[in-house]
Amino acid sequence: MAEIAPTKSVGPEYRSEKPTATISTVVEFDNVTVLPQTPQLIALLSIIRNRDTQRGDFVFTSNRIIRLLVEEGLNHLPTVEHTVTTPVGRPYEGLSFQGKICGVSIMRAGEAMEQGLRDCCRSVRIGKILIQRDEETAQPKLFYDKLPDDIADRWVLLLDPMLATGGSAIMAVDVLKSRGVPEERILFLNVLACPEGIKNFASKFPSLRVVTAFVDQGLDEKNYIIPGLGDFGDRYYTR
Amino acid sequence: MPSITVPIAPTPPQVVVFNDDKATNGIATPGLATPGIATPGSEYYKPGADGTIAKRAHYAPPWADVSIIGIAGSSGSGKSTLSQAIVSKLNLPWVVILSIDSFYKSLDAEASRKAFRCEYDFDAPDVRTQTSLETVSELPGLPGSFSPQALDFDVLVERLRDLKAGKRAEIPVYSFEKHARTEQTTSIYSPHVLILEGIFALHDPRVLDLLDMKIFCEADADTCLSRRILRDQRERGRDIEGIIKQWFSFVKPNFEKYVNPQRNVADIIVPRGVENHVAMTMVVQFIKQKLLEKSTHHRAALTRLERDALSRPLSQKVHIMNQTPQMGGMNTIIHNIDTSPEDFIFYFDRLAALLVEQSLNNVFFDSQTVMTPQNLPYNGLTPAGEVSAVIVLRGGAALETGLRRVITDCKTGRVLIQSNIRTGEPELHYLKLPQDISEHSAVLLLDTQMSSGGSALMAVQVLVDHGVKEERIVLVTYSAGRMGLHRLTQVFPDITVVVGNLCSDAEERWVERRYFRC
Repeated sequence: MAEIAPTKSVGPEYRSEKPTATISTVVEFDNVTVLPQTPQLIALLSIIRNRDTQRGDFVFTSNRIIRLLVEEGLNHLPTVEHTVTTPVGRPYEGLSFQGKICGVSIMRAGEAMEQGLRDCCRSVRIGKILIQRDEETAQPKLFYDKLPDDIADRWVLLLDPMLATGGSAIMAVDVLKSRGVPEERILFLNVLACPEGIKNFASKFPSLRVVTAFVDQGLDEKNYIIPGLGDFGDRYYTR
Repeated sequence: MPSITVPIAPTPPQVVVFNDDKATNGIATPGLATPGIATPGSEYYKPGADGTIAKRAHYAPPWADVSIIGIAGSSGSGKSTLSQAIVSKLNLPWVVILSIDSFYKSLDAEASRKAFRCEYDFDAPDVRTQTSLETVSELPGLPGSFSPQALDFDVLVERLRDLKAGKRAEIPVYSFEKHARTEQTTSIYSPHVLILEGIFALHDPRVLDLLDMKIFCEADADTCLSRRILRDQRERGRDIEGIIKQWFSFVKPNFEKYVNPQRNVADIIVPRGVENHVAMTMVVQFIKQKLLEKSTHHRAALTRLERDALSRPLSQKVHIMNQTPQMGGMNTIIHNIDTSPEDFIFYFDRLAALLVEQSLNNVFFDSQTVMTPQNLPYNGLTPAGEVSAVIVLRGGAALETGLRRVITDCKTGRVLIQSNIRTGEPELHYLKLPQDISEHSAVLLLDTQMSSGGSALMAVQVLVDHGVKEERIVLVTYSAGRMGLHRLTQVFPDITVVVGNLCSDAEERWVERRYFRC
């Protein structure tokens, strides 16, 4: 199905000599958007993947990627045509944003994406969901959630930087749906995914939109994304 | 530090005088003179390395063919006072004075010893601290002497030719204490009119070829001698006999041999220096005429480019941001006159960060394999070198917040280009660039709006003149007119342009007004 770990030359079309790099694996789901594999994005991912990158650089660089994800995610929200008058007095035929939004982060790594969301959407409401793996069953388990009361009327940007098997993301969506959020109003924003996780998640929720920066090769025997970038929460918060 | 007394009137603020000790500390503002350490052959002025003005058929900035006015005359004839008076009367940043004293040759060890010994012999213990251009002038063949052999005309001619070609010229800084050129240099860039002032300004035939106007300042020999007697007695404690002896053995013969003959090649001979109002008005008129000619040529060239640019497809190196729903929505908020200042700034900063992110896709990258924490390799990319930015003031500064969100510690140069209110012609007022800019792998040139493209052309030309290769320049602008884009990419086909949105060809600069709220 998917072409695993394709290596392509990356750069602007007009340039003849371009360096090569491994770009995102292609996944065939209509509801999955992978960010354009620009040289700049690949360079940013190279920084956060690098085990030698210090925490400060990791935080700054991942925030840049997350902002790009948020910007792309917001493009999937509805707009209506809207004409305004410009400071020089001419009419400008533009667009205006429709619908209320909120963020929901899957703790703890998802919270690392809140800054990027706030950079683009001031004073956005942000709910939280804590899901942890149950030691006995090895299944994800919901421990805590705190969501806006009117979440059912909002578009939800669900934040989790890593999508491995998709277990906790699926559980989080189930929580949102149980609060009355229709599937088609959920946008899942993700830094690094893998084909298995995408398949599980995107086929289970075909109306939900996934926006990711990169789909990696796959999972190892411990269900870590490879080649991956390590534990995102650890690298962002504690390492 | 012992001060160097320079026999000129106090410097008015608009005047840039080279070889003034203040200039070595860097008067950077109006005359665009920036101090810099430059070694000969540095990237700064590699002749014609990559398409400097000489090669450009399409665009010639107004400084491409600087007019040079030479003012010679004996010391005390009022050359420098006259130059200063002319410059302050014109009161324009692109009229600059260059003193020929900057071009004294360094002395070799033996001559240097001689110089110091002579100072000792002159029984003037304060000579080292009080050294002025003319206190050491009694030493034949030494700096400050009345003999032209002490001047490095080769370097002078080279620098004048650089300036004629529109390039930056590094002017040596001579230390009269050490009898040597210092490591430091002062740069001159982009004057429209240059006044070359010095005892031997009209001496070298190669210099004469480059001059547009030749002035010889005449002073009565009696006046010179009496000024000298008074000064040397009062300031250096010499006796009249010694002074007169020097006058007749060194100063006068050299004057007759070298200085005076220059009057034969002069266009104008000015007696009584600065007091001569008629002569001064003439010179000022001449310069004004030259400036007007340059401005007319510049504007005509811009118009010609405009005509040529019509009805051609945009270069593929012009990237216009995809008008995604978010871009559309943000653009609408930014364009809406009813948007609050808070919202305007917020959305403009947000959009600016996206513009900068997009522009970075046009810089150069190398392949790089990194090891992930799982000890697996990933074949990624890394920037090929440093990326810096140059902000075209004032508008470009509105993109700076966006820039810092993407590259926190980005080295940032600044250039102030203003359109003349009367003619609309872009004018370069101020320039400060990172020293190593020619080595950076990419330079983002930031401006908010580009309509006719005149100031963008000028800004790119400035970068090219400073050794930045065209393909390393990424012009980032919030909005641009099609015609301006054509004009720019026609003159500089190798640069990349990233544009937030297309606008009409003659749009006022309202974005910066809204962003800075004034």
